[in-house]
Order: sequence, then structure tokens, then C-alpha cells
Amino acid sequence: MLSVDLLANGLIIGVLYALMAVGLSLIFGILKVVNFAHGEFYMLGSYAYTIAAASLGISPWLALPVAIAVGGLVGWLTERLLMRPLYAGYSSWGLMRDEYAVVVTFAFSILLVNLVDKVVGPYSQRGPALLDVPRMSLGPIMISGQKLAATGAGLVMIVALALALRYTLWGKQIQAVAQNRLGASLAGIDPARASSAVFSAAGALAALAGALLAPIINASPDVGAFPAVKSYVIVVLGGMGSMPGSILASLALGVLESFGAVYVSYDYRDTFGLVILILVLLVRPQGLFGERGRVV
Amino acid sequence: MARLRALASLTPWLPLAFLGVVALLPLAVTDDYWLGVLVVSMYFALISSGWNLLAGYTGQFSLAPAAFAMIGAYTTGLLCTYAGISPWLGIVAGVVAAALIGMILGRIVMRLSGPYLALTTLSFAEIARLVIANSYSFTRGDLGLNVPGLFESRTVYYYLVLGALAAVQVGLMLLLRSPAGLYLRSIRDDEVAAASRGVDVVFWKTAAFTLSTAVAGLAGALYAHFSELISPELGLITQSGLVICMVVIGGMGSLVGPLVGAFLVYVLSEVLREVGGVQLIVFALLVILFARFFREGLAGLARRAGLGKLA
Repeated sequence: MLSVDLLANGLIIGVLYALMAVGLSLIFGILKVVNFAHGEFYMLGSYAYTIAAASLGISPWLALPVAIAVGGLVGWLTERLLMRPLYAGYSSWGLMRDEYAVVVTFAFSILLVNLVDKVVGPYSQRGPALLDVPRMSLGPIMISGQKLAATGAGLVMIVALALALRYTLWGKQIQAVAQNRLGASLAGIDPARASSAVFSAAGALAALAGALLAPIINASPDVGAFPAVKSYVIVVLGGMGSMPGSILASLALGVLESFGAVYVSYDYRDTFGLVILILVLLVRPQGLFGERGRVV
Repeated sequence: MARLRALASLTPWLPLAFLGVVALLPLAVTDDYWLGVLVVSMYFALISSGWNLLAGYTGQFSLAPAAFAMIGAYTTGLLCTYAGISPWLGIVAGVVAAALIGMILGRIVMRLSGPYLALTTLSFAEIARLVIANSYSFTRGDLGLNVPGLFESRTVYYYLVLGALAAVQVGLMLLLRSPAGLYLRSIRDDEVAAASRGVDVVFWKTAAFTLSTAVAGLAGALYAHFSELISPELGLITQSGLVICMVVIGGMGSLVGPLVGAFLVYVLSEVLREVGGVQLIVFALLVILFARFFREGLAGLARRAGLGKLA
């Protein structure tokens, strides 16, 4: 029965990884850049939730939307202030695109970590639980109330995002811009608005992950590094820009770590993802679901 | 045009002139603390020069420079502690280990480009740090590892690290003036065009990656015997971030840029630490502004100002 419990817990972690990875993957899909400040969206969500619920005394369920709003706002600002030059007017710097995005988002991540460290303080803070139920057993699975609530909320958001991308006008516009920026703009879609929407959504999802995990992993200025590294591994595994790929890779990594921690080594559980990543890159550099690109 | 060319041929000597000034600094700075700050600045200047070869001249963004310094530091530290070898051999071993791991990682990641490369090296850096931090029975984890020192006097250390830095600068200068330097820059400017002209892109990118990790390993190994206490914090992502700040502010793709950047950023950060620990906030803002508006860094600004006067 241990294996069922491990599988379930792996999937639970996987859902929370997916909240991070899906946003990162969408950003890559639409702008072809990696957001190295993604972990800091998580960190800000974790703090927004903790401060709203613990210090201001708002109900934890109402603190969740606060965290989502903060993440969305920061995501929007990131796109507006730092990403616009990638496609607005700078026609001559095609060569330095990737480098600009790496440097700017990496510096933005350092800026946010140290700003929070200075303003809120370097001490870690625990967020109050959403469901204050101790560990219970659902059949063979042992699970705490908080993990159950977090998984439920995470699943709802991922399904909602997937449906929105597929069926709403905004979602279709985002897909169109991801496929062909120029073509979409010829069809009357505003690529800048679609990019803003994607960054806001990605920020909101990462912040939600931070908020949901705040009662389990305390909020601290550098708490974002760990989930960010996991989601980088995931998007490469799943194929950058592929949403189903990143969801599947998230679940796979969660399960792999959960089994590996018990059967291989607990101390080195965080290294399994990298080992798999390097193996995958050797065989399929485009990831599990990525398309092989052609350089022209 | 002639004057322009004269200026361009002068630039390679700027780094050595700068190091010449650095060599004279101990005459003015006698305080042990500030001498230490300068030695750490040179540690960062070494890592920055190596990273600049990779990022500035070859166009490959690794996010793991500090992790390779950590690998160099731990290689010599562990060998001195457990095998009891001489620190000098340990330093050589640190360089070799960092270069070897860099070459293996480079073989894998240099087939990737752009974001994949940055992501994989960042994951590698974080996981290398976790492995060292979690192997406490062997490395003493976050408590830190005690490493034997080399000399009593800080001034001797100062000139040892300066000598290493000067040697690396001369090496880089010779490399960049050779055909290999041309291959590297052609890869930076257009990988596909370089490949179509017969440049073995993967080989030269791996070579640049290996060299840059070897230089980082050298920096780390020298630092280990200087500080006599090393911890996994050497490999923190923030440390790599600091290296990137130094190169971007100083000027990517210029030899003197990373040197100026390293000294400026590290000495300033010591000053700002006393003011209230705002150093990383200031540098992160500066890097965003430089990346956005002054893409060639201080070196580029200086070059533009100089050429403005000539024209």
C-alpha cells in the first residue's frame, strides 16, 4: 500500500509543480523567452497570502485571491516594463533577444528577492492552513487537509486555464499569437495584449502555487528558487511551449521524486530531475512533446 | 580610420594596464580587511573573465559560473582534508575537476541553444550546490569546510591571485587574436553562417565552455586557500547573478569590461553593505538599465565617448 500512497503524494506535488510550469511554458510559447523571475512570482504569492491571512487577519480563503491578484499584477508589470522592448520597435537587435531576456529577468529576480528581504525581512513566515485538518486516511492514502485543499484548488485552476485557452476568444487569440505573431497581428489580434494576458496569467498561477504551499513551505525571500528550478527542469522535459507536455512532465517529476526519495535516496531527491533531464537532452533535445525546430 | 584602428589595437593592452594599477594598490591599502576585499574582487574578476569568454565572445549564456568556482574550491578543499595533498596540487586538481565536469556538461548542453542552455546550466548549478550541501558527512554541508592556508601574509596572496588573473588575461588575449577567437565570435554573431563556413560549432562552443569553467575552478581553488573556510554558498545562484551583473555593467565582449565591472561592483557592494545591505538592489536595477539602454556596458560607453572626441 506504500506504493499507492507514494503515487498519490507524487501526483499531488506534480499538480503544484504544474501551476508553476504551465505559466512558464505559456510565456515561452508566446515570447520564445524564459522568465527567470518565475520563482519570484511564487515567492510574492507566498508572502501576499501569509501577510493577508496571518498579519491582516483575512480569512485564508479570501487571502488566496489576494495572492492571485498580486501575482497577476507583477506579471503584467514585468511584461509591460521589461518585455515590451523584445518586440516593440527594436527591429535591429534580433541577435541579442535571448540574451536580453535572460539578463533582464535574472536581474529582476535578484531585485525582487532583495527588495522583499529588505522590506519584509529575511525571516521565514508560516502561512495559516486553508483546511486545518490533521493527516487523515483516504483509503490507503495518508494526506493532510492542507495538501488536499491545495491540490483541489490547483487542479481547478489548471483545468480552468486549459478550458479558457481552448474555448474563449482570448484563449484563441493567445494560441494564434504563439503560433505566428505576425500572422495574428495581420488578422487583427493585438500581440501586445495577448502577451500581457499571458504574463498576468502566469504570474497569477505561480503566486497561487506560492500561496497554496505557504502553510507547508514557509514564505522567505529566497523560497522561489527551489520551485523555479523544478519548473525549469519540467518545461525542458515536457518541451517548451507545450502545455500538455508541461502538465505531464510535472506529474511525472512529482511521482519520480516521491518514489526516488523512498527507494533511492532521500538526501539526493532533488537531483533525480536533473539526471532525467540530462538523459532526455541527450536523446531528445526538443523534450518529450516539443517539436523539432528548423533554423533558417 | 587610421586613428580608429590605432585605438582598436590599443584596447587589448587596457586590461594589463588596469591590472598594473591594481598591482600598485597594496602601496596605498594596508588595511587587512580592504586587502581582503580586493582579493575577493580579483576572485570575481577571474570568474567574470571566464564567463565573458563564453557569454560575451561566444554568445552562450551559462548561468552556472559560480557553481564551477564552488566545484574548484571543494575539489582542493576535500583533497587537502582527506588525501592530505599539498594545496598547490589541490589548486591544479580544482582546475582540472572544474574543466572536466565543464567539458562533460558542455558536450551535452552545447548542442542546445538559447533558453535551453540557460535553463540546464541553472538547474545544474542549483543541484550541484544541493549535492555538496546535503553530503554533510563528507563535506560538512552548510557548516563549511576548513581548508589549509598557503601563506601567512595577505599581500603574498594578493600577488598570487593577481598573477593568476594576469596570466588568464594574456591567455584570453592570445586566444581571441588567434583563428580560434575568430571562430568563437563567428558563432556568437551567426551560428548557422559559421557552420556553413566550416566552423565546428559544437566543438568550439564546448571548448569555450570548458575554458570558462576551468577559469572559474581556478578562481574557486585560489579562494578556498585564501579564506580557509568554504561553504556551498559559493555556488548560490545569487553569486552567479553577481558575476553576470559585473560583466553586463562592465561591458560584455570586451576584455577590460569584466575586470572593471568586478572591482567596481564588489568594492561598491562592500561600501553599500555598510550603508544597509542595499547592494544587490542597486546592482540589479543597474543591470536592468544597462541591458535596456547601454547594451555595451561601461566599456561601450567609454569607447563611444572616446570615438566621439576623435570624430
